[in-house]
Amino acid sequence: MSIATKLGLFLAGVIVIFSALAVAMLAQLRSVALGYDALLNTQVRQMQAARVVQVTFKKQVQEWKDILLRGYNPDDLAKYTGQFHNREAEVHAGAQALAGTVDDANARKLLTQFLAAHQVMSEKYQLAYEAYVAGQSDFKAADKMVRGQDRAPTDLFDQVVQALDGRVTASVEAQRAATARNRNLVMSGCGGLLAVFGLLGWLTVRSILRRLVGLREVSDRLSRGDLEGLVVNISGHDEIGEFGESMKGVHAAFAELIKIASSPAPLG
Amino acid sequence: MAAKLLDCYARVSSEFGLTGRIKLAMLTKISSEKAASEADSEENIMMFEQAVIQIRAAPR
Repeated sequence: MSIATKLGLFLAGVIVIFSALAVAMLAQLRSVALGYDALLNTQVRQMQAARVVQVTFKKQVQEWKDILLRGYNPDDLAKYTGQFHNREAEVHAGAQALAGTVDDANARKLLTQFLAAHQVMSEKYQLAYEAYVAGQSDFKAADKMVRGQDRAPTDLFDQVVQALDGRVTASVEAQRAATARNRNLVMSGCGGLLAVFGLLGWLTVRSILRRLVGLREVSDRLSRGDLEGLVVNISGHDEIGEFGESMKGVHAAFAELIKIASSPAPLG
Repeated sequence: MAAKLLDCYARVSSEFGLTGRIKLAMLTKISSEKAASEADSEENIMMFEQAVIQIRAAPR
């Protein structure tokens, strides 16, 4: 194989390695982007929806307190009652929608329990509301009827948020680990290939230099006319090998010239 | 003793003189001194005959 072919193959190999590295890194980047997109579009979105339901539920309880505090005024009673029922409906719809999309069995189970607890709480709040209106804004009696009733659904929904948050954290960690694993795989693969090509390149250069040194020694001895015991032993199927073969011819011609000079009598 | 190889040297020497000998040595990579100790193998004879043809074909 000629030196030009060897160098060309070496260069092509290096280009292929770096191209493969670039393609692998792009694929890795795409995979990471897709992974995070999927995470954002499912688990993070569910987490956000859960936070919205959580806040809406707290607002619903706040509306109830506003009914008790300001319900003696008919306008305020109507206003806060409307807002209370709106929040109640939003919480119910939000929790139901979330239960339909969440794929975590524990979170779904907690959501079902929350919906049941919220329903029970709503019924009790309704009875307390009716007592409040009938008792001419007796907030103490109404409050006594529902005191502590929001605790169970609040705790349940806190657990839902906690479960979803745990899933998001675990998914981010899994994504990070997968990214690191793929990156290490790509880097070690390309590093190994580069090491192999580096070794091949070093061996090729060493072989070329060793034979060039041999040629230089032959050339030096021919230039000095020192043919005693000179053997041209430059092998190889490349340009240096061909040059070595030519030097053998030159060597033989020199030897013939010396013989002619020392013994001019014709042969035969 | 490579009689046939030395015969090639003798032929080119008589036909082309010293230049022919040097050309034969150059083409075969074997000087007459070395040819004397080489074997008259089929391969060597063919190489020498080819070289003689080449020398004859070259313009003088």
